[in-house]
Amino acid sequence: MADKDAAYRRRPPGSGGTPPSAGTNKTDAAFDVWLQRSLHQLYDTVAREPIPDELLRLIEADRAKPEAQPDEA
Amino acid sequence: MSDTPSFHDQVIAILPKLRVQALALTRNRAAAEDLVQDAVCNALAAQTSFIPGTNFAAWMHRILRNRFISNLRKRRDTTDIDDVPAHVFATDAAHEDRLALKELGQAMNRLPADQREALVMVVVHGMSYEALAEATGCAVGTAKSRVFRARRQLEAWLMGETPTQVEREERAEKAAGGKRPGDQARRIAAADRHLSLL
Repeated sequence: MADKDAAYRRRPPGSGGTPPSAGTNKTDAAFDVWLQRSLHQLYDTVAREPIPDELLRLIEADRAKPEAQPDEA
Repeated sequence: MSDTPSFHDQVIAILPKLRVQALALTRNRAAAEDLVQDAVCNALAAQTSFIPGTNFAAWMHRILRNRFISNLRKRRDTTDIDDVPAHVFATDAAHEDRLALKELGQAMNRLPADQREALVMVVVHGMSYEALAEATGCAVGTAKSRVFRARRQLEAWLMGETPTQVEREERAEKAAGGKRPGDQARRIAAADRHLSLL
């Protein structure tokens, strides 16, 4: 049963039911589309989350500092 | 009166992309947040070394990447292999879609860090191979190869191809003079494999 479930999950959503046989250009194109959409779903949420205040304060504090001394290095 | 954004504005603007890169590298949200903060600290400290007019994004991504490598050397992070944001799976996506997403998240976590990073930066950020190469300090061919191998490996895992098929192609690619990852990438991959075993 586990195998059946695993095989079911292997079907990229939106590929229209039966996955095309592996190795064809059609499969590659469908997989690319699915992969792009899915990676956006996975990672876009992270990018959209608010920036922590602590991090913004750190940057703003640095911005407010006087220009760095050239002979610091 | 220049239209060029200030250094600090550029840092703020690139933060979302740095978070994505950090998550791709660390696979752990808390570690990713720490990594971004560390990278920002490094960038602020080194801001005089940035040459205005050059590629700020590449400069910043490189700093984050170097910091990641440096952190790997210093400590053995405990890695949460299944640290894809929980709310992603609580979306209104259909059950099957959620399962597929979860499976993709797990497969992503199994990829070597350099391949995962490359795939995310190209597919999610829309970065060109040239920009990826500049941001990760490798040759354009290496950048392409990382994305290609990541994509092929994911397809093999998720579509049920046998791993040997991918491995065979990789061997053929190498035999044909394909680019090999640099030392730095090999170190990341080795460290990543090590972390995966923890």
